[in-house]
Amino acid sequence: MGQYKEVFHPLPPVLYQLLIKTIYSVLFSIIFFFSDNQIRFVKSVLWYHGYDRPELYRLPSDGSAGSRELLLAFSWLLHRLSLLEQLLARNRVKTGDQTSVQKAITEIAPEYGLEDRVDVRYLQWLNGRLRFQWRSLHAQHQELCKLLHKIHVFTSGSHMDQILGHFSVTETDLVRQPENYKQLLQLLESETMQLEAFLEWKQLEPVYWQWMVMNQTDFERCSFLDSNIYHTLFFSFPFFLFSLQVKTGGEDLQTEEFSVAARKIQESVELKLLDLTYLCAEKKNKMHGSCRLVFRSKHPASKTGFERSIFKEHVSAVSATEVIRELQMREASLDRELKQLREECRQRLDKIAEGLDGVICISP
Amino acid sequence: MGEKSAGEGPAPKNAEDQQIPVPVQDVPENTKVRAVGRKPASLKKPSSYQLRAPYRTDPDVKKLQRKAPARCVSQDPRTAGNSSSKGVSCKQGRSHRTAISDREVCASAEPLKTRGLSKSAPNEQQNFSIGDSAGGNNSVAAGKQLCDAGKKHCGFLGESSKQEDPTTEGVLGRGTSPQTVTLQGKRCQLKLPLPYRKAYSRNSRAWEKCRLCQTSADAAAARNRFIERIQTTFCSPTPAFSPAEIEEELKVLQDVPSLLSQYVEAEPADHPTLQREYESLLTLEGLQTIVSQCLHKLQLLRAAVESQVGLCPDCTGDLGSCSPACVPPRGQMCDSAGVLAVPLLWYSSFQELSDLFALKLQVSMLHQEIALQKLFAAVLTARLQSLSPLRGRCSPAVSSIPAAGRAPAAPSITRTGQHIPRGYICVCGRGCHPSRLLQRDSSRPSCAFLLWEEGGGRTRVSISAMKITPLR
Repeated sequence: MGQYKEVFHPLPPVLYQLLIKTIYSVLFSIIFFFSDNQIRFVKSVLWYHGYDRPELYRLPSDGSAGSRELLLAFSWLLHRLSLLEQLLARNRVKTGDQTSVQKAITEIAPEYGLEDRVDVRYLQWLNGRLRFQWRSLHAQHQELCKLLHKIHVFTSGSHMDQILGHFSVTETDLVRQPENYKQLLQLLESETMQLEAFLEWKQLEPVYWQWMVMNQTDFERCSFLDSNIYHTLFFSFPFFLFSLQVKTGGEDLQTEEFSVAARKIQESVELKLLDLTYLCAEKKNKMHGSCRLVFRSKHPASKTGFERSIFKEHVSAVSATEVIRELQMREASLDRELKQLREECRQRLDKIAEGLDGVICISP
Repeated sequence: MGEKSAGEGPAPKNAEDQQIPVPVQDVPENTKVRAVGRKPASLKKPSSYQLRAPYRTDPDVKKLQRKAPARCVSQDPRTAGNSSSKGVSCKQGRSHRTAISDREVCASAEPLKTRGLSKSAPNEQQNFSIGDSAGGNNSVAAGKQLCDAGKKHCGFLGESSKQEDPTTEGVLGRGTSPQTVTLQGKRCQLKLPLPYRKAYSRNSRAWEKCRLCQTSADAAAARNRFIERIQTTFCSPTPAFSPAEIEEELKVLQDVPSLLSQYVEAEPADHPTLQREYESLLTLEGLQTIVSQCLHKLQLLRAAVESQVGLCPDCTGDLGSCSPACVPPRGQMCDSAGVLAVPLLWYSSFQELSDLFALKLQVSMLHQEIALQKLFAAVLTARLQSLSPLRGRCSPAVSSIPAAGRAPAAPSITRTGQHIPRGYICVCGRGCHPSRLLQRDSSRPSCAFLLWEEGGGRTRVSISAMKITPLR
């Protein structure tokens, strides 16, 4: 470690602190008290992202050893998750009207155990109240949309950022009450400083990675299988699909007119199945997290084609149309699931009720 | 308790009758409730201040008092205007504004509710009172900490809906105070304040630089060397899917079955022309290909899951306990440059925006409904199963008679005079009311109901649709 000391100097303070915290917390566990829960958490996160080095998982859970392993794991994670970029993006100062674009598997698992002591009609009553709340929430959302849209329309053309074009609610309020938003300005300033620190880090990045390579001294194996093969296989399936679509029919048919018609039919079928193939072939270009709502009318009188191309390049923009389509698919799928559950329940209850005496069943 | 459920009977019924899009009249109702709810609290203050007003020499307090009585007393005629002015039209203008500020001035010491909407109300007070009254300093100070608290929710949509009220008020109202901004009037002259503009442009330039900043070749080479070498030390250098990747793939595949079924069901069994038949054939073949690929991918995923579970550091073999503990940052698979770009969601019309919100709410509602359905199914099944050994004995929850006239089958069943239903449950758990069965005009299929008897009947009666026919 001694000969690498001078490497620490040029590293930007943020990363330095990160490293120090990791290393010291392992070497000097008296300084940073942390529980074995935290160690387990770190291990499970690394496992979750596919870190397969057994030495790490064999580290003792009292944190007494393992500085080198932790450093290796940290560097691996840094690359794997684009850690710094993710941190910056996640903590971005939000000056706009934010809405989330998530396609999460949000499963709500109900808890069981009290079924026979629960008052069913109380549940039904609660259910009714819940529905009422949903309805009022919907009404409020619609109200919100109207007002948001108004603001966006009325302030369009006023923003200095051409890509955005109009103010958000916060910015509109900023015009009226600038003194309320000192904190926002401070946040913007500090974020700018963080970004500059990130740029510095990028300058020093070669030094860091070379240092990491020097840290890897012993290895059990010298050769490695080409992992790219497997990746190619998995992700080229959608291409197989497309090629299959194109190959069906056409060659064996005799008359030209029929083959023309057949090709037309093939194209229409491809179009029909476009939604599905798009869904299955989806690459990881999804947007997650919080996005800023921006209004761009379809018939802009003043916007030129040049501006539109800027728009597409410099931002990662998702159109509401796409999101709506995905949400519709999601909704259809959930609806189906719900109907299925209801049907199952009905059938099960029918069966049980048949075996009961003294019970009147009314079935539709 | 029977009364309670009977009283709430209409509520669940209405909830399922009406469509989701609710006329906006409902919104003022909510706010009216709130407004009325606050009135008694606010009216308390002026009476105490009125007593002391002329005798205090503290100028700040005096200002508050001077403002408070005048405003709060005159609040009454305006609250009537409140509810409708909060509606979409927002045509009431000034009265709406000042009435709200009155409420906030008087109620500034009231504990805030935790809902985002109510937190934004102090912001309104902040906005209005500066313009509205000469003695605005006091309310500014009083509202400052509320405003700060409210600012934390800056950008939260619940908040911003109320924040917009002042500006939309400004659009349509005739402001007497100089601070009123007529948003529409000043459209092209609107400018963000200079310090913000500077900070914003510095910030966006920095973001742009970071986005365009490439990893240097040396760094990339060293990094790749590092990664390759470390991957050789992994247990299985042949990379299976990591748990994170498995979840990503599953998310993609989640909606596929329903869409597939939709397509398959859309294909008719009979085809009038050869072309149609050919088209149908191609469609089905395409679907079959997709299905087989998805199945293949699922097999791979399943194998990956099994292999990963074996490696999991601390899971007890129960798959369910593995991933939730480590909720990873989503989207880590995107390329770094994309991550640093401005995330925008652009919409092109009001209809799109409102559809977006409606669909998001609908999806989350469906998730909840599914969970509720599972719960109801479990509850009803358990209840029914507990009934079977109990011949004629009622469980305590099912004890009261539905209101007379609503008991669905009472007239016919009481032929023998013994079978009086004592309780009912609908099987779908949606709170359907059995009286709907007796409505001749119900075109929608209604739910199945289960009725309990007290006293133990011997005849089982089966009822279908809207006819009640006893079994012999």
